Amino acid sequence: MASLLQPDRVLYLVHGEKKIRSPLSTLYFCRYCSELRSLECVSHEVDSHYCPSCLENMPSAEAKLKKNRKRICNQLNENFRCANCFDCPCCMHTLSTRATNIPAPLPDDPSKTAMKKAYYLACGFCRWTSRDVGMADKSVASGGWQEPDNPHTQRINKLIEYYQQLAQREKLERDRKKLARRRPYMPLAFSEKYGLGTRLQRQRPGAPITSLAGLSLKEGEDQKEINIEPAQALDEVEPLPEDCYTRPINLPEVTSLRQRLLQPDFQPAGASQLHPKHKHLLIKRSLRCRKCEHNLSKPEFNPTSIKFKIQLVAVSYIPEVRIMSIPNLRFQKECQVLLTLTNPVENITHVTLVGCEEGDPEDINSTAKVMVPTKELVLAGKDAAAEYDELAEPQDFQDDPDVVAFRKSNKIGFFIKVVPQREEDGDVTVSFKIRHDFRNLAAPIRPSEEGDAPAEAIWLTHHVELSLGPIIA
Amino acid sequence: MADPNTKQMPQKSANIAAGAVVCVESEIRGDVTIGPRTVVHPKARIIAEAGPIIIGEGNLIEEQALIINSYPENILPDTEGVEPKTMTIGINNVFEVGCVSQALKIGDNNVIESKADLGKNVILTSGCIVGACCQVNTCEVIPENTVIYGSNCMRRVQTERPQPQTLQLDFLMKILPNYHHMKKTVKGTSTPVRN
Repeated sequence: MASLLQPDRVLYLVHGEKKIRSPLSTLYFCRYCSELRSLECVSHEVDSHYCPSCLENMPSAEAKLKKNRKRICNQLNENFRCANCFDCPCCMHTLSTRATNIPAPLPDDPSKTAMKKAYYLACGFCRWTSRDVGMADKSVASGGWQEPDNPHTQRINKLIEYYQQLAQREKLERDRKKLARRRPYMPLAFSEKYGLGTRLQRQRPGAPITSLAGLSLKEGEDQKEINIEPAQALDEVEPLPEDCYTRPINLPEVTSLRQRLLQPDFQPAGASQLHPKHKHLLIKRSLRCRKCEHNLSKPEFNPTSIKFKIQLVAVSYIPEVRIMSIPNLRFQKECQVLLTLTNPVENITHVTLVGCEEGDPEDINSTAKVMVPTKELVLAGKDAAAEYDELAEPQDFQDDPDVVAFRKSNKIGFFIKVVPQREEDGDVTVSFKIRHDFRNLAAPIRPSEEGDAPAEAIWLTHHVELSLGPIIA
Repeated sequence: MADPNTKQMPQKSANIAAGAVVCVESEIRGDVTIGPRTVVHPKARIIAEAGPIIIGEGNLIEEQALIINSYPENILPDTEGVEPKTMTIGINNVFEVGCVSQALKIGDNNVIESKADLGKNVILTSGCIVGACCQVNTCEVIPENTVIYGSNCMRRVQTERPQPQTLQLDFLMKILPNYHHMKKTVKGTSTPVRN
């Protein structure tokens, strides 16, 4: 049954700030700390931005900001949107450029007409075209499409500059006070008013923070005094149109909330004012272990490449337990479940399974008693060339047929006995600990005078939980 | 009207006008009339169970499309007194691959995208586009130029109707006879077109 291979059937416990149980395919393994890490106990860093439709790499926000600091707000806007690709304002799909031939008078001789190409944007999913909102066809295939200007841009820019200056001034004052009082443990949050938050700031020591207050003027540059007029409250509000209550609603013309909120500067209520927006960029992120600051996952810079420069995923280091077959589970009757263990590394791994003891603090979900095989299981190494090598002799491991059902290259199938303890509805869950040896190839290579094997084996223990399905009466 | 190509009454054969390109591998059952310049791909199925089907000109019916005039669910085929209802399909419609259409009235210039499902009670006017995998079985008349799209069958109105697929039709009418046998057409009074 394919449902037995679903990833959330077998969960591994991760010891981090929070105890997280998740399938092995979503976990990372820090081979310097020799521990499993989940997505919540690593720090995520942005590597690069790229457009998902034209796969073009965008220079990082900092490079753009440093280049031209005057038009700061426009840059912040353009930083995270692609210059060439557009999103359909109706269904958010990517717009494609289509061409039609229209007869147009030649510039030399107005009486003759020649076929000229006119380009318009069209969505393949909801059939929206740029002609629906009245945008004229352009004569160039790309680069001719403009987003409408926001009438409030100037005021917003001015306000942002003013508040940036204010934040910097406050930061300087606080830093001066901090130095004067010499308090050793001042939280970073107090010095950055519009910063990104303490956790992220702590994770990036030394890297410039691309928040509003992160831009600091250089020493010696004069601070311009920016004055803003306060917003004025008006007594009179524009009255509603007279037929507001009597005019029938043209339902196709009303925009949905999602369509409206994706354009926060205009928020048009009518579908004929929905203009396409430039496409949002996606990021490539790299993961870093919080304890030892080593990179766990680092993608390649090129957006067209899906490979990783560094990829320390758990499935390539930790043996994986999978459910192979489950008999009918009966309340308080012993059933035999067939599991498989796969060895991801190339050397022989020895695995011991240990049941959870009474009162184990990690064992909170199990609803059945489990008897695991007591003997040590030996897994052969993963040999990529084995399937092509017909003459290879199968290695002889003395397998107890009561414990080991089958053996196939780096995988074995073994039995465990399960006695469901609770008759209620819901899945039968069992948990046990798996203890295996791990050869750390990442350790610094000592000079070979030691005479030791280049990799020492350390024993790692993981807590595994299996969800076996409902009891069949 | 002793036309050797059409069978005699009861009308249980396809009445294919000259100029239509209907592949032999398509399944046409019952009283079906197909207009000129219509292309029916192999493995398309047009089944007139509970009444005749009249298909206009310039339509494009692609592979595995199913156009069926079926009995309503609660009526057995043998019940007497059931009026045969005619299914009418207009001109320049496109039935894409794998769609199912049971709608009794379809106008002009509609596009029914792949794996769309039209129920018996829907009436399509002109210029409608029923998106891929959309199921429409409400009892209503779909207004003109409506686009139904998305997994929730969202709707919107477009300003222009979809273009008729003349280029595609011309291409298919040239290429399909090179690779498939065609069903025989009724030789009409107009100039005969090759089979």
